[in-house]
Amino acid sequence: MTVLEGQPQPVQRVSLGAGWRRAWRTGDWWRHLGLGGFLFFMFLPFIITIIISFKDIPQFDHYPFTVTFPLHPDNYLEAWRIVSRYILNSIITSGTSVVGMVILAAIAAWAFARYPFPGREFFFFGVLALLMVPGELTLIPAFLLVKDLGLLNTRWVLIAPYIAGGQVFAIFILRQFFEALPGEMFEAARIDGATELQVFRHIGIPLSQSILGVVAIMHVLSTWNDVIWPLVTLRSNELMTLTIGLYAFRTAWYTIWGPLMAGYVIASIPLIILFAFTSRLFVEGLSSGAIKM
Amino acid sequence: MTTEEIRAPASHATMADVRVPQERQATLGQRIYRYRFVYLMLVPTFALLLTFNYYPAFMGLYRAFFKWDIGLQPEFLGLGNFEKLFIRDDIFIKSLRHVSLLTSWRVISAVTFPFIVAELIFNLRSNVHKYTYRVLTILPAVVPGIVILLLWQFIYDGTHGLLNAFLEGVGLEDWQQPWLGSPKTALYAVTFMGFPWVGGVTVLIYLAGLQGISDEVIDSSLVDGCSGLRRIFAIDIPLILGQFKLIIVLAVIGGLQGWVAVFVMTAGGPGTASMVPGLWMYNNAFLWNKMGYASAIGMFLFVLIMGLTILNVKFVKTGDY
Repeated sequence: MTVLEGQPQPVQRVSLGAGWRRAWRTGDWWRHLGLGGFLFFMFLPFIITIIISFKDIPQFDHYPFTVTFPLHPDNYLEAWRIVSRYILNSIITSGTSVVGMVILAAIAAWAFARYPFPGREFFFFGVLALLMVPGELTLIPAFLLVKDLGLLNTRWVLIAPYIAGGQVFAIFILRQFFEALPGEMFEAARIDGATELQVFRHIGIPLSQSILGVVAIMHVLSTWNDVIWPLVTLRSNELMTLTIGLYAFRTAWYTIWGPLMAGYVIASIPLIILFAFTSRLFVEGLSSGAIKM
Repeated sequence: MTTEEIRAPASHATMADVRVPQERQATLGQRIYRYRFVYLMLVPTFALLLTFNYYPAFMGLYRAFFKWDIGLQPEFLGLGNFEKLFIRDDIFIKSLRHVSLLTSWRVISAVTFPFIVAELIFNLRSNVHKYTYRVLTILPAVVPGIVILLLWQFIYDGTHGLLNAFLEGVGLEDWQQPWLGSPKTALYAVTFMGFPWVGGVTVLIYLAGLQGISDEVIDSSLVDGCSGLRRIFAIDIPLILGQFKLIIVLAVIGGLQGWVAVFVMTAGGPGTASMVPGLWMYNNAFLWNKMGYASAIGMFLFVLIMGLTILNVKFVKTGDY
């Protein structure tokens, strides 16, 4: 959904000052006041994190929550030395699994959407039923499975199950989208002699870029934030992803608040950058991401 | 996609369905042969799903009926694990009380605060302001969940924490606590973390619902002199009951599955003062290697989540308009 859906009138091109005057006249000012209040408390922890991230220990002891000078940007260097490895690991894990997941899910969803093969609904239900299975049920057997497969403490122990699990919801979303694409276009391409693969690659995929982006971003968000699975399957510090790396960092650096908070800030930056470039997909992805469960 | 759509049979006729009339007469074997490449397309997907999803799910259900310690031969117990769980495991019973409190607060906070914010944004006259507030509300959702948990751990910290500093600032030194370290307050601290309880995603879902209300309805309500709070209760809430239902389901599931937050914040402690069933399962499996017993807890959670979701979808009616 785009931002202005259900709002037929175009965006009003008024200067900010006029906007605020209007806000006063129409009685919107108390709405701004209410929203400002909520937003203040929502952002307060982050603001204080940033303030503390520039403090050394004595500064924190005397004035913990106000800005103190001189600032200590070296906290960030110190935190970067520890956190950068975890960020890299998370990028490798989420990046590899999102590529694999999107490719497999797109192929499977295409098969479900466009070919009336015998057993289609049966197999599709076999995918959908997994939406109902919570991680609590599978955590222990899945752990013992990867242990028997000898995957413990490798990158694959995260990537393979992430690809497998991520497909379920992606196939569900992509099938609906592929089915809604106009069939005449594919028919025309076939008549012109395109093979099934060419139809998929050169027409289907380009038409679906934005929904593929949504599915990909949702997958990155959920794998990036996963705590329990990496916690039980990874032991070595070299392989730790951001979530469990930060957890270990917190335990090791407890009460050295400056670098610790700097580490929290650094850890938040990759997704904020991703958000800045793909905010529209993010808004769509986050709203449908919640619907996932 | 709402839950209704998940249940709806997803079988729209595609072009291929009507393409070749004589296909109807083909035998099943011929049709399977004709689409052999389609089955090939599904092989990688199903190979992964069977290995990493189906096998563990069935194994979890099966082993819940065994005494199954790592390195030992599994021993069939029948309902023994469940009997122990509900009759002899006091900590588990206690954890059920804790998780009900956590889940209740999640539901209550999810249907109030984000809805207020959504109404405030929806009623703004300026689309530019609407857009700005939407982006600002969603922004905290991008911060990794673990960072938010660790920050709240810091807010509750006994010696350096923000909450205690605030209490000192307003002259309530007597109320200062090691919030997560005291058995009296740990569970409540975990429950009420996240103030002001406005989830950006939830706000977006409400907003999508509000924007779906047709302008005619809102205009005619204005003509009839129905505005402000009265419109919210008489028109907005009844018309977006579907969204409320969805958010209640999500909050219930989130509450039952939200044990990772407890794990990070208190690890269930001090002692078992903030223990929840998911964490109790984790401890049994990964601290004490009692895989069968832990599987029984996992199966219980699975049944509970399924049951509550079905109840909710069935009995919280959506208005027909």
